[in-house]
Amino acid sequence: MTGLGYQTAFPAASGKPLASRGDLTAFLMALCQRIGADSYMLVAVLHDQHRSDVRIVASNWVYDAIQVIGHRTIAAIAESSLAAPPGTRPQAVVPSRAMGIARVLDGEQCRMLDVLGHGEIFPLRLNVGRQQLYLLFSTEEADRLDPAELTRAQMRCCHALSQVPDLLAATTQHDPLSDRERECLHWVSEGKTTDEVAVILGVSSNTVNGYVTHAIQKFAATNRVMAVATAIRSGII
Amino acid sequence: MTRSLARAPVEEHRNPFGAAGPDSEAKRTPTIADVIGHCRWIALDINAAAFSLFVVGPAGERNGLVPLLDPDHPSDSSATIRMWDDISEEIVRHARTSALPLWWAADGSASADAFLQLPMAKRLNGPSPAGIAFPVSADRGRCGLVAFLGSEIALSDDQCLDVHARCYSLFGAAMRIRPDKSRKAPAVSKRELECLKLSANGMTSEQIAASLKLSVHTANQYLTNSTQKLNAANRTHAVAKALKLGLFE
Repeated sequence: MTGLGYQTAFPAASGKPLASRGDLTAFLMALCQRIGADSYMLVAVLHDQHRSDVRIVASNWVYDAIQVIGHRTIAAIAESSLAAPPGTRPQAVVPSRAMGIARVLDGEQCRMLDVLGHGEIFPLRLNVGRQQLYLLFSTEEADRLDPAELTRAQMRCCHALSQVPDLLAATTQHDPLSDRERECLHWVSEGKTTDEVAVILGVSSNTVNGYVTHAIQKFAATNRVMAVATAIRSGII
Repeated sequence: MTRSLARAPVEEHRNPFGAAGPDSEAKRTPTIADVIGHCRWIALDINAAAFSLFVVGPAGERNGLVPLLDPDHPSDSSATIRMWDDISEEIVRHARTSALPLWWAADGSASADAFLQLPMAKRLNGPSPAGIAFPVSADRGRCGLVAFLGSEIALSDDQCLDVHARCYSLFGAAMRIRPDKSRKAPAVSKRELECLKLSANGMTSEQIAASLKLSVHTANQYLTNSTQKLNAANRTHAVAKALKLGLFE
């Protein structure tokens, strides 16, 4: 099993592989039609030191709806336990009944979402390798979407995103560390001291401290503990 | 919301780990037998003869894919070992960065006929027996591959998506399996967790003490206690363990 012979194309429906952001938009639109959803939003959640923010990769939501709930709230919905990981049953968020989202959305936001055509929203998590994105499908009225089709659409989207690795890497937080820095941080996270890491990697203690310091700087962290925590939170180690 | 569930992959017996939805999923602690049993179900559904589950080792340590389980658990089946020998750097990179299924089969076999109909699966030059491997990933960047082997695998496009979804949920379950000893470990208290979390956010003991209105000595005591309870070597190790165990985000 040597050499990946990449031979086939996606999506079969449109007959050509995804290559650009435009293709991705067309693909998501086609996916919506296929399952009967009215709108989609594909987002990446980015973490800075203390808060989460969201980067919208593709969406056909009206601008008003995005403004009403705000980027941070979208991040909160995506990161809450509401977002179904691949292979788990999708969970509906129904703004008019403030169902499941009372903690993240206030009454006015719920009302506006309902008015703007998001009667029911399904937040789905997409895992592509180490990258994680979120996809929200919405319909005007509740109970229209079939959960099995939603799960398939979620998988199709994971597959489609795999075809645009550059876009994916540019969208989600990338891994700023060098191999050596990552290796050092990994051993530090396992509770090893600088001297122990130096022995493990066969370099001097000063070199190890240099790598760790670089990692701390790259994460804009204040100390080792925070650098390790940041690396774990973003799935780097 | 209760809703009558349609078909696979959200049916209970087809997808025991995912059927209950993300909320209840986290509460269930699966066992190795559960995961193996579920792999058997999938193998049966697609007419595969064997299966192997691999996990990608942490970057920087072992860069490769490591066998996690197969029907011969706790040892490794010969099929797993043969496949393991064949795993190239490229396949490891694929598992880290892509979700596209990989397959290999000799032309003319029943499996090859089925695989050729899958629009997004990628073909490898693989040895016999034929097989298909689904890249999977779970929280905190853990990735793996779930492979099904056999020369008479039958799988349609929709089934491929369903099986892939089930592979994701079973990998998530496999990653939640905890050795028995961790269940007996003393629980880290709420206050200790607060200190650990603030420490993870880059605060020093002095800053933690000030923000929680404690004395520096007490804050340090909380951190020392949690380090012991987590069986960690030092504070950094404790924070890393707590994060990996999902004690806080």
